[in-house]
Amino acid sequence: MARYAMVTDLKKCVACQACTVACNAEWDVPAGYARTRVRSTPVTGTFPDLASSVYVAQCNQCDRPSCVEACPSGATAQSGNGIVGVDKSLCIGCGFCLDACPYDARYINPLTKKVDKCDFCLARLERGAEPACVTTCTAHAKYFGDLEDRQSDIFRMVYAMGARRMETNAIRIGPNVYYAGERARADLVLAAFPPRPPRLLAAGEAWSRVLKPLVMAAVGATFVGQAVAFFNQLRNGEKDFED
Amino acid sequence: MRTDAVPVHPLPLTSEQAEAMLQRHVKRHHIAIILLHWFNAIVWGFELLTGLALISSPLFRVAPHWYIGIVEGLFGSRANMLQFHVALGLSWIGVYLVYGVSGFRTYLSREVLQNEIALDRDDVRWLIVRTQRILGWTNEPLPPQGIYNAGQKLFAFLVYAMIPVVMVTGVVMAFRLFSTPVVGWAVVLHFGAAGIVVSGLMIHVYMGAVFPEEKPAFFSMITGTVNELYAYNHHFKWWTIVKAEERVWDQQHDDEAGHPRETAGPTDTARPE
Repeated sequence: MARYAMVTDLKKCVACQACTVACNAEWDVPAGYARTRVRSTPVTGTFPDLASSVYVAQCNQCDRPSCVEACPSGATAQSGNGIVGVDKSLCIGCGFCLDACPYDARYINPLTKKVDKCDFCLARLERGAEPACVTTCTAHAKYFGDLEDRQSDIFRMVYAMGARRMETNAIRIGPNVYYAGERARADLVLAAFPPRPPRLLAAGEAWSRVLKPLVMAAVGATFVGQAVAFFNQLRNGEKDFED
Repeated sequence: MRTDAVPVHPLPLTSEQAEAMLQRHVKRHHIAIILLHWFNAIVWGFELLTGLALISSPLFRVAPHWYIGIVEGLFGSRANMLQFHVALGLSWIGVYLVYGVSGFRTYLSREVLQNEIALDRDDVRWLIVRTQRILGWTNEPLPPQGIYNAGQKLFAFLVYAMIPVVMVTGVVMAFRLFSTPVVGWAVVLHFGAAGIVVSGLMIHVYMGAVFPEEKPAFFSMITGTVNELYAYNHHFKWWTIVKAEERVWDQQHDDEAGHPRETAGPTDTARPE
């Protein structure tokens, strides 16, 4: 089984947005929404020592994805190759997963009212093509491959050249999009766009903490009451039947 | 109606009277209601079966993994299961709409609300005595009841309150209406309302299928009738109404035929010693 990962070289990226366009075209992403987007960090420092970095954000296909647990119906699930997919036929559009994602990588498609996000172009991978953003990247800043393949560029960049995950000490769920380039650039990105703690919507909180225990208690209490009644019935016999 | 002629409480019966009443049948349910009841029961059976298996997240799941696996296997995939759940639920709403539109004048009349739905003083007393009797604390006789007893009425209130929630939230989810937060809350309310109905449904099924004294009520959901003895002992206030209607009918037919008909059961004229 493969373990897919992507590397974006922040030093090579020129923020041309070709990946965004290719992705939107490939997946019919409605205007105003995106599976991947290129952002820039605010400029820091004083002239002439100014610093800024681009940041190509997308779903990280995390090792321990917080969105999977938040999805009530099982539409969001992680497959063996590490890709976190959304089964559209199971998505009910509740939006719990949007708040659960520390990277805000998901959006609700306003046409289908279902959730959508990057899945490393799984449909393209299945026919042997690379993800659309990797194919189209004008600066060859994006790499895609299998971390279990020791001969791959990906393996070399992650394990030999120190490409980084966008993780903080607080949020560490194993993102599988890595960022190459100088350490300072990744630090700028992490300072400007840090992952946030996963949230559970108020509706989800009410469900898991109030309604689920309440319903289980009500059903349990009814069951116990009936068991008492049933044993009384067995003890007393059914003499009342012919009443 | 000669309402003054009927006793307020069920009187002790002679064995001949009891035997005769056991042989006579009183109409209790219209065929339309019997069909709706069993349609409803089948729908709830399937919707609960699939609904339980549709919640897979460890945060919200109530069914064990093996159960979810079995139901997924039955339907082939989770997507089939969801489609089935939604399609059956929408058909259920459709059938209820037909019944609601065609029958609301019959089932929402002032008379029905007063005699069949609203709780009266006897009902409150009944709830207390019934509970104590089930627990084996007392042998006190139960207060007389109308066509539905207080327990059935309470279950009806629960159902009247929760079914619209289940239906509206179901439609909201099926078509993902309004905004995403609304759909999110709909999922939660759908679960809560269905869960509360289930706790009442367990009592309903137990009383109908297991509890010995209510067996005639169970069979009345198949045949549409109960024996008169059951009506007399368990739904006395309803029995007096049925008897009064019978007498009115008899009197009208006496006039046509020219000779009196025999009236059945213990009334003021046929009171046991």
